[in-house]
Amino acid sequence: MTLLTALARLLIFPGLLFAVPAAWFFLWVERKSVALMQERVGPPFMQPFFDFIKLLGKSTPPRIGIAGLLMRAWPLIAVSAAAGAVGLLPVLPLSGGFEGDLILLLALLELPSICIIAAGFSSRSIFGEIGSAREAALSVSYNIVFLLAIVSIAASQHTFRLDALASAPFTPLHWIGILAILVCLPAKLHINPFSLPNAEQEIYAGPMTEYAGPELAMWELSHGLEWVAGTGLVATLVAPHVGIAWLAACIFVAISFAVVLLLSALAAATARLAIDSSVRFYWQCTLIFAVLAVSSALFMRFRS
Amino acid sequence: MSYKIPMGPYHPGLEEPYKLDMICEGETVVDAELNIGFNFRGIEHLAETRNYVQVIALMERVCGICSFIHTLTLCQAMEKLTGLEAPPRAQYIRVVMAELERLHSHVLWAGIAAKLMGFKTMFMTCFALREKVMDVLQAISGNRVNYSMNHVGGVNRDIEDPIALVPMIDELEREMMRTVIPIFTTSSTARSRCAGIGVLTREKAISCAVVGPTARASGIAQDLRRDAPYAAYAEMKFEVPVEQAGDVRARLFVRALEIIESCNILRQALAKMAPGEISSAGEKLVFATGTATSRVEAPRGEVMYSVTWKENSRNPARVHVRTPTFANMPAVRWMVRGARLADTPLIQASIDPCYSCTDR
Repeated sequence: MTLLTALARLLIFPGLLFAVPAAWFFLWVERKSVALMQERVGPPFMQPFFDFIKLLGKSTPPRIGIAGLLMRAWPLIAVSAAAGAVGLLPVLPLSGGFEGDLILLLALLELPSICIIAAGFSSRSIFGEIGSAREAALSVSYNIVFLLAIVSIAASQHTFRLDALASAPFTPLHWIGILAILVCLPAKLHINPFSLPNAEQEIYAGPMTEYAGPELAMWELSHGLEWVAGTGLVATLVAPHVGIAWLAACIFVAISFAVVLLLSALAAATARLAIDSSVRFYWQCTLIFAVLAVSSALFMRFRS
Repeated sequence: MSYKIPMGPYHPGLEEPYKLDMICEGETVVDAELNIGFNFRGIEHLAETRNYVQVIALMERVCGICSFIHTLTLCQAMEKLTGLEAPPRAQYIRVVMAELERLHSHVLWAGIAAKLMGFKTMFMTCFALREKVMDVLQAISGNRVNYSMNHVGGVNRDIEDPIALVPMIDELEREMMRTVIPIFTTSSTARSRCAGIGVLTREKAISCAVVGPTARASGIAQDLRRDAPYAAYAEMKFEVPVEQAGDVRARLFVRALEIIESCNILRQALAKMAPGEISSAGEKLVFATGTATSRVEAPRGEVMYSVTWKENSRNPARVHVRTPTFANMPAVRWMVRGARLADTPLIQASIDPCYSCTDR
C-alpha cells in the first residue's frame, strides 16, 4: 500500500468522507426502523446530522485539571480509532493492504470501548463508573468470542491480511466466524439485549452521563462510526469478490444496511438482559461458536 | 466497599417524583431507603374548604389513573352520612367503570414494567392497547382521565346500550390474550428478568400489611370485591388470583390473571345491568354529624376514605385518604435487599406505586 492509497482510504473511501455521512445514515436507519417496528413515526432523515450540529454549538461546563483534559481526549481518540478502523476495511478491489492489518483493525475496533470505560471513570460520576464497570465486564466477555471468531478465520486462510480474507473462498468455518461476529455486534454497539452500559432506567446514560455539547457530539459520531466499522467488517467478509470498484462499493453498503436492519430488529424485539445473564450468555453459549471455529480451523490446517 | 446510589426524585426509570437511596456493594443492593413527599398538594386540607359537590371533583384529581375509584370511595362514605343508597343500575355502572379502570391501570403498569426491562417495543404495544381501553371509557363517560361519573347517591351518566359495549370488551380481551398476557406469562425475556427477584415472603407481606396484587402475589388471598363487596360486586362471579412465589413474576401473573377476570366481570355487569334510575339523590343533601369510612379495591389495592361531617355544614370537617401505595411502599425495602442493581427499577415498580396519590 502506497502512502497515497493509504491516505485515500483513510480520508476518502471508505474513510472519513464516506464514513461520517454513513455513520449518520446508519444511526438514522437504526432509529427509524426501530420506530417503525414500534408503530412510531421516527426521526426525519437528517436528524442524526442535526443532533450533531446542535451539540457542537452548545457550550460545556469548564473542566479543569488532568481529569478534564482526559474527558475531552477520550471521545476524540474514540472517533479517530473508529474512523481508522473503517479506513482499513478492504472495500474496493486491489485497494491494497499489509500483512497484519487485521490485527490493527481489531485493536482499532476495541479502542472506542476502552475509551468509554476510561471516560466513565474519568467523569467521577457514580453512574458513569457503574456504566464503565458494566462495559468492562461485557467487553471481556464478548471479546473472547469476537477475537477467536476472527482469528480462526484468519488461521484457516494462513494470513492476517484483510484483503486476502475478504477474497478467500467461503468455507463452513467462514460462516461460523461471521455468525459469531454477528452475535457479538449487539454488545459492541450497546444495543438490546446488551444495552447495559447505557441502561437509562438504571444508570441514566452510564459513562456518558457527565458529557454534553461537542464532546457528546464526538461520542455520538464515534458510536455511528462503530456501526459502520462493525457492520462493514461483516460486509467485507460476506461480500462476493467483484472486480468493479463501484459495484464492490454498492455491495458493501447494501450488506452493511441489511446488517443494520437485522440488528435493529433484534434490538426492537428484545428486553435488556442483566449483566450476569449477559456475561453468562457470552461465556457459556457463544463460546461454543468460537471453540467450534478454532477446532475447525485446526482440522483444516492439518488436512492442508 | 459499599457505595450509595440515589435513584430519583427525577429519574427516567420512575413515573413520579420520589427517591430511592440504595446502598450497593458491586451490583448488589445491600439496603435501601425510600423518600416520598415531593408532590405534596394539600388536597386533604383543600377538601375541607369545598362543598359536597366540589369535593368530588377535587378528590378525582388525587390520582390520574384511578380517578374513578377515588370518587367512588368518597361517594360511598358520603352516602353513609346522608343515608342515601345508589340505585341498582348505578351500582352496575360503577362496577363497569371500576373494572375498566383496573384494565387500563394494569395495562399501563405492564407498559411501564416492559420499559424498565428495556423492552420499549412492548411498552408501545401496551400503551396502544391502553388507548383502546380509554376509548371505551370515553364512550361511556365522555372523558378519558377524569370521568366525572360519580355523585352522592348515584352516577352522572347512564350506559344506554350496555350490550353494544360487549364486542368492545371481547376485542380488548382478544388483544390482551394475544399480546400482553403471553409476555406476562410465557416470555423467556420476562421470565429471566422477573423470576426469583424482589421476593416478598408471605410472613413479611403480612408484617408489612401490604394490599392488592402485591399481597395476592405473596399468597394472601384478600380482595375487597369478594371479602367486603360494594357496588354490585356481590352479584358477580369471579376468581381472586393468588400466587405463592412472592417475586416480581408472581406479581406479573396476578395482574395478568386479573385482566382476564376483569373482562369476565365486565361482561357479567353489562349483561345483567338492571333497568331503572341512575341516581337517588334529591335537590339538597343532608349530612349527619359523624365519621364514615369506605373501602374499595383499587387496581393497586385497598383505598380507604374517612370522611367526617358536621350537621348543617356544606363542607366536610375532615377527609382522610389512605392509598394502597402507602401500605405497599414499606415492603420495597425488603424486596430490593440482595437484589441486583439492574433489577431495582423493576422491583420498586412491581408494587405499581403511585406516590403522587400517596403525597396527595
